[in-house]
Amino acid sequence: MIRLRDVNKTYKGNVVALRDVSLDIAKQEFVFIVGPTGSGKSTMIRLLIKEEKPDSGRIWVAGKDIGQLSSWKVPLLRRNIGCVFQDFKLLPSKTAYENVAFALEVIGRPPHVIKQQVPQVLDLVGLTKKRDHFPNEMSGGEQQRVSIARAFVNRPLILLADEPTGNLDPSTSVGIMRLLDRINRTGTTVVMSTHDSSIVDTMRRRVIELDRGVIVRDQARGVYGAFT
Amino acid sequence: MAVNLEYVFRETVSNLKRNVSMASAALLTVAVSLTLVGGALLVKRGVDRATVQWKGNVELSIFMKADASQPESDAIDRQLKSMPEVKNYRYVSKPEAFEEFKKIFANEPDVRDSLTVDQIPPSYRVVPRAAEQTKIIGQRFEDTAGVFRVSYAKEEVDALVSVTNFLQIMLWAIAIVLLSAASLLILNTIRMAIFARRREVAVMKLVGATNWFIRVPFMLEGLLQGLAGAALAFGVVWVGRDLIQNRIAGARNDIQLFKQFLVTSSDVTGTGILLLIVGVVVGTVGSALAVSRFLDV
Repeated sequence: MIRLRDVNKTYKGNVVALRDVSLDIAKQEFVFIVGPTGSGKSTMIRLLIKEEKPDSGRIWVAGKDIGQLSSWKVPLLRRNIGCVFQDFKLLPSKTAYENVAFALEVIGRPPHVIKQQVPQVLDLVGLTKKRDHFPNEMSGGEQQRVSIARAFVNRPLILLADEPTGNLDPSTSVGIMRLLDRINRTGTTVVMSTHDSSIVDTMRRRVIELDRGVIVRDQARGVYGAFT
Repeated sequence: MAVNLEYVFRETVSNLKRNVSMASAALLTVAVSLTLVGGALLVKRGVDRATVQWKGNVELSIFMKADASQPESDAIDRQLKSMPEVKNYRYVSKPEAFEEFKKIFANEPDVRDSLTVDQIPPSYRVVPRAAEQTKIIGQRFEDTAGVFRVSYAKEEVDALVSVTNFLQIMLWAIAIVLLSAASLLILNTIRMAIFARRREVAVMKLVGATNWFIRVPFMLEGLLQGLAGAALAFGVVWVGRDLIQNRIAGARNDIQLFKQFLVTSSDVTGTGILLLIVGVVVGTVGSALAVSRFLDV
């Protein structure tokens, strides 16, 4: 589903974000990307949605070499990838329902599809009762659920989550992880970057550890710590 | 791509509401600059038309001495008749010339009453076949017996044309400067509208909205600004032309030059349509440029 080969990315001022990164992620896998701040986790996610271009190396997503993708096809790539961020990126002037519906609206889905899909996915994330609340009327956990609903409403092949629990307390995080797990079980490949050790240790899924842009560990059913 | 029209209009209207002051500044600048463009175009139309008339009627007048004898006058008449370069000519007798003189100086009784019929020179008004021959014809008569003076209308026409040409260039220059200012203002308005909505644009890009989908509401906004500005300019030009034309028609002077300066209403309509097109293009292209800077992946 996702394949990186010899990917290098350096930012201005010789800041190395990724160095010679190669990896494969299969369909329906659940993968944690761990490592300290600045180790290249977010860069990897930005490369996958082609928000950044690698300096060298090739990246395939859903069977397509995205380096070959013409820029007008990038939106189509992104429709296959749901994204969740630490800061939710919800629109404050829209309700939970409208935020989710917006994602379908702007890719040109007809109204009857929107009316059918949005309540379904709000039910999945357990926010049916809060559908008419604005983001500032909801807790962090609820806002993150809205953002997951928005990422998932289009049934993407891949869900990328960049530290989705970074702003949440541990018990709320557990709820979010259950949700991501459920989404993963529907057949969606989930890639999640985090530095929350307890989550990684509890879930026991594949762990890829980055350190200063280099993959230092790739372990099935791994834990957060570097010991094995 | 199925464009959701309802979405596009909702977005456009909310953008315009958010930036009323900037939007109206852009709109007014478009209107002012296009008014000047339209004015310049119409003045050109009028001058072109008048010039054609003037050129077709370029006359030279052979003024006889007031005391010129009949044989002298007859000789000139014969000579004019025999010249192939002369299209037609007409003799203006003393009483006719006196009537003309009285009309021209109708507002100045002092001048009007200072001369008598006998003091006015009779003249031949000669229309050459081609404007270029005016001078050649004139020179033949300059030293003929009984001729007081030969005067050419062409020189006056030339002077007038050069003045109007200069005016036109000025109008064009001002119009171009203002039109660029208008495009920049539209560019800026759209840029501010996008900046105000950068979160939404970011989310739209994230969930895979196409660039065109994001661009269309902003372009429509620019289009509306340009169109409204152009329509305003159209109105101003229309009313202005009416006012000026009425002035000319109503004035009780007999200055032929002005009478010939005619701008028809179809000229105004044609120019107006051109203005609308320019307005729409400037607005749409300006905003498209403004958006693309924000859409770089």
